[in-house]
Amino acid sequence: MKRYAWFIPALVLVTAVLVYPALRTLALSFFHLSLGNGFRLEFGGLDNFVRLVGDSRFRASLVVTGFFTIVSVTIEFILGLLLALAVNGFVRYQGVVRTTLLVPWTLPTAIIAVLWGWIFNDQYGVLNELLIRSGVLHSPIAWLAGPNTAMAAIILADVWKTVPFVFIILLAGLQRIPQDLYEALEMDGAGAWAKFRYVTWPYLMPFVFVSLTFRIIQAFSIFDLVYVMTGGGPGGATETVSVYAYQTLMRYLDLGYGSTIVVATVLLLATVALGLYALLVRRYERLF
Amino acid sequence: MEPDGSGTWSDVIQRFNDLHPDARIRMVEGPPATNTREDMYSTAFLSQSGGYDVVFCDVVWVPKFAAAGWLLDLSDRLPAADRQDFLDEDLKAGSYRGRLYRVPAFTDAGVLYYRKDLVADSPATFDDLKKFSERFKDEKRWGFLWQGKQYEGLVTNFLEVLWGYGGDWIDAETKEVFLDRPEALLALQFVKSTIGTISPPGVTTYSEEESRNLFQDGRAVFLRNWLYVWALTAREDSPVKGRVGLVPMVHAPGKTNRATLGGWGFAISRFTSNPETAWKFVEFITRPDQLQYIHERLGRVPARKSLVPPEFEPILRAARPRPAIPEYAQASDILQRWLSAALSDRVSPEFALREAARETRLLVGP
Repeated sequence: MKRYAWFIPALVLVTAVLVYPALRTLALSFFHLSLGNGFRLEFGGLDNFVRLVGDSRFRASLVVTGFFTIVSVTIEFILGLLLALAVNGFVRYQGVVRTTLLVPWTLPTAIIAVLWGWIFNDQYGVLNELLIRSGVLHSPIAWLAGPNTAMAAIILADVWKTVPFVFIILLAGLQRIPQDLYEALEMDGAGAWAKFRYVTWPYLMPFVFVSLTFRIIQAFSIFDLVYVMTGGGPGGATETVSVYAYQTLMRYLDLGYGSTIVVATVLLLATVALGLYALLVRRYERLF
Repeated sequence: MEPDGSGTWSDVIQRFNDLHPDARIRMVEGPPATNTREDMYSTAFLSQSGGYDVVFCDVVWVPKFAAAGWLLDLSDRLPAADRQDFLDEDLKAGSYRGRLYRVPAFTDAGVLYYRKDLVADSPATFDDLKKFSERFKDEKRWGFLWQGKQYEGLVTNFLEVLWGYGGDWIDAETKEVFLDRPEALLALQFVKSTIGTISPPGVTTYSEEESRNLFQDGRAVFLRNWLYVWALTAREDSPVKGRVGLVPMVHAPGKTNRATLGGWGFAISRFTSNPETAWKFVEFITRPDQLQYIHERLGRVPARKSLVPPEFEPILRAARPRPAIPEYAQASDILQRWLSAALSDRVSPEFALREAARETRLLVGP
């Protein structure tokens, strides 16, 4: 009994900041509670979920979020892996390189978003300046003004910020692989690709799972970059689920429906994470 | 409160505390983004706790906060003499359903700045705006700058053009929606026609500062912005110092010009444990001498007739508030999204306005 008492502070803290808000959000998603009904708590059963299914703005934001997540995480993963493989080869100065590469990850996202906003500015932007000087463009492009270029701009900013995260996790994974496995393969006359295919990749799998899970969850809930760079525009073309949930909860003060959006999103994400788990972890179980 | 970099607000609060030793007003500084401060207040109010006693309140928050029952009714507290002196539109904008919830402190309004060294007569109509823009724009200089990013500023820009064509958005009393009327289409077509011709293609990504920087660097003939730009263009290090004039937004022939009203004031939380002290403070900080002091330090324009600088009078006479409905944030979002979709060529202007009108009716309709 005495031993368990030590858990009480942690338990209280987790309950207060995590379990209670989560349960309350879940409960609220079945209620009407908004500025529109004078903040009277009324049980609505599945009303909010029915509304959600018919909500074209929610569907549009899901598509935007899904697209953003798939594209940005794929690019981030490939770049992060290549960087990790490259840096793992460095024996000297590895600490310096590692730290330098981590800098973008440590900066606050909202500030990064403001900076990238100026980089993509049509009149003052560095990007247009570079492209015009190198002869790729003749006249400046208003990157954040078009639906597709705005999405590309946000993805680029996100890749810049989060490649270091994937990189550092995969690098940790690489450094954990026993060197004698490579030596054994070398004795059998294996080349670089075989080493990667039969040792590096399977041994890296737990780290692949961790980095992908974290990145997918974070990308799916992206808010600050979008909110600052485009506000969800133009015409809602970059509005993600989090931005929509924020608008509904904080600006429209529709707490019931806003909670429903959040709950539905969490359920979706949990499904994706479980799918990923089934796909990667189960297959390489013995390595975890 | 907003960030108090210059210490001006602290000075005023200190003076109040010195006069009332039994009352201690403490300032809580928030972030500079106004919608983040709106969220801070909303969060405190939703928990029904004390949190803040006095609210430094943006003009567009009033209907929402008042409808939610979060603000004290101040109608009977404000003396008649003050009621006379405060700008009528600012008082109206501080009211909800005929009751006053916010005492005005500073007013603001949309302004059309122009380069008076280029444009000899002050522009009056949309045609003037186009004509002078075409005439004086060159490789280094654009014609007309405005704020076209999908955010609240886009609505204020559009409203001024809409009103200038004799149109309107929502009637707060009757809940009528006018967005699918011909005037609205003319307004949207005008705004859209500026993009890439007299306005830079990126104008649909600008908020206030992007457009002000270009104008202040001498790279545009016209700029639609707020009153704060006036003091900045007049600074010693400003390339356009002494070469800027200001008028309210231009209009269609036979119509009148209108400016979107902005501005800040003070309200009192319904959850305060100290309404008397809170009121004494609101009364104190909105006194002419205090407002004048803040005006001199921060450039804010006092919302009192007796203190408005003469050069701003024509603008403020043209100022009109946005519709005072509790669902304002949603109505504004509907308009922002459809305007932005039309301006970025995702849908036609006709379709955008028809859809915006339909969604707005669903929102505010009976």
